Amino acid sequence: MENPSPRSTRPLNAAWLGGVCAGLADHLGWSVLALRAVFVVLAATRLAGVVLYLLLWLVMPRAEAGRDAPGLEAAGRTGLRPVSGAALRPVDLGAAGALGLLGLGLLWLVQANGWGLPGETLAAGLLAAAGLGLIWWQADRASTREVRRDAGLQQWFGPLLAHWTTIGGIVAGLVALGAAIAVVVLSQTLGEVARLFYVLGGAVAALVAAALPWVLRVRGELARAREDKLLADARADMAAHLHDSVLQTLALIQRRAADSRAVVALARRQERELRQWLYGQAGTDTTLVQALSAAGADVEADHGVDVDLVTVGDAELTPELTALVRASREAMVNAARHSGAERIDVYAEVDDELASVYVRDRGSGFDPDAIDPDRMGLRRSIVERVERAGGQAIIRSSPGAGSEIRLEMRR
Amino acid sequence: MSETPQEPTARAAWRVVVVDDHAMFRSGVRHDIGDRVQVVAEADDVPTAVAAVLAAVPDVVLLDVHLPGGGGMEVLRQVHEVEPDVRFLALSVSDAAEDVLGVIRAGARGYVTKSISADELIEAIGRVAEGDAVFSPRLAGFVLDAFSGSIEVASIDSDLDRLSQREREVLRLIARGYAYKEIARELFISIKTVETHVSSVLRKLQLSNRHQLTRWATDRRLV
Repeated sequence: MENPSPRSTRPLNAAWLGGVCAGLADHLGWSVLALRAVFVVLAATRLAGVVLYLLLWLVMPRAEAGRDAPGLEAAGRTGLRPVSGAALRPVDLGAAGALGLLGLGLLWLVQANGWGLPGETLAAGLLAAAGLGLIWWQADRASTREVRRDAGLQQWFGPLLAHWTTIGGIVAGLVALGAAIAVVVLSQTLGEVARLFYVLGGAVAALVAAALPWVLRVRGELARAREDKLLADARADMAAHLHDSVLQTLALIQRRAADSRAVVALARRQERELRQWLYGQAGTDTTLVQALSAAGADVEADHGVDVDLVTVGDAELTPELTALVRASREAMVNAARHSGAERIDVYAEVDDELASVYVRDRGSGFDPDAIDPDRMGLRRSIVERVERAGGQAIIRSSPGAGSEIRLEMRR
Repeated sequence: MSETPQEPTARAAWRVVVVDDHAMFRSGVRHDIGDRVQVVAEADDVPTAVAAVLAAVPDVVLLDVHLPGGGGMEVLRQVHEVEPDVRFLALSVSDAAEDVLGVIRAGARGYVTKSISADELIEAIGRVAEGDAVFSPRLAGFVLDAFSGSIEVASIDSDLDRLSQREREVLRLIARGYAYKEIARELFISIKTVETHVSSVLRKLQLSNRHQLTRWATDRRLV
């Protein structure tokens, strides 16, 4: 149904720190709290969890808001609809406190029994992790504000100056990193020169590590800009094509103004096309819903009836489902041709085991047991087609009461 | 507090406010239904809509989903803070599931698309005015979609988070294009019972704060 993204991302709105646990939990389908507990336990044992967390923090990109259909994006920009920014979920203080205490307790247990790291290493590690965490945290938050301000100097300093806490956070982080280096250096007996090298090396490493999120983001933004360009081009082409077809439709409507049925059909087709582009999901016929709506549009265009399609769930097309779509199309054509109804309701439902399509009209109806020879299409192209593919077709109709054809296919 | 002057005509004309930013659509609606309901005010963005609705206190507000100033949801929120009893029927040209469910969850009692015929619109207005819900086939589809699927058992925290078997059947029939009367015949229940089921689905939709509903909306957006 939904394609899980191949990469897991960090949803900042659900994050306590960097959103690593929230992102992983979302990706793996596990409970966030359990995952957080695992990290806390790992962190208490020789800081393994801390290192792992920081690595994942770097590797996993921030979750970006999904791209809406063009009509929705435009409506959001012009204030026609509330912009669906994910609301920040507040940190659950109880759970956070419990996990913190668990971590401290375990750390004490491990350290007190001598299984842990030597004291200085532990202190340096904690300080360094805290420093990096603070700086990266600011990097995440600063860049969410960045999007809105990009004029002149502000473009460069805006994100940093946006809030004094950002600077405060970064300074505090750097101080913590410096302290970590100091702890390492002071804990060892070294000559003057060696000590100097240690300090310099440590400082460079700390600065590089601190700057990594920004470097990675610039790379990400380059890729994104390329993608945006492609998308913008595709949309411009599409818009040109649509405007063209709207002009055609308007011209046709003027010419055939006397034929109200034709005008309605033209308007309806154009509406569907525009609606699909503005608010729908573009794509080829690779899923059941896409294929059904294409089939419905065909029947509408060919037979001048309305086809109302409602779907619940979706699935990738398989040969069986393709047969289901073809049979559904035949059922729509059949209803359009013989029932005399002006509207055909099509409902498709896909769950784990079964895909069903209901094609219903309120037209003249017929006696399913006495199908005229000229309507053998019903038997051959609908019932037998579905049965050959392993499904079944159930026809419900009686003269004067419309008809409903139910098509089912095991998945 | 309702000072609605119910004229003693054969069928009291419902007092309606039309909120839409397209003047062409407003005049179209007025032309189509103006002789059968009383269009007491029109508005074209969120502030004027809130002012007009609070001034007129109509039976039904026809509310566009997309509206300058924050969308139909914003009108619902601001009006319901002051007058929680005003009833809204949402209309739109967009089929964006999360926007449609958004206005329903914000308190609208129904949703129809703008291509609806005048007669159907009159019927829908009547239904909403009488406190019932109006589910178009498409809305029924959205709701089934939102409530179905892979529900992790842990995320179901109350009865609000699931639909009963009967409610599901009713919604499915609505989605298949059945009118209430036809549903009643199909399920051997009264029309009133069908209305009760639909209203209860509406209530669940508005009250349930199920994780699944928001999750569903985000998934939709990411497709």
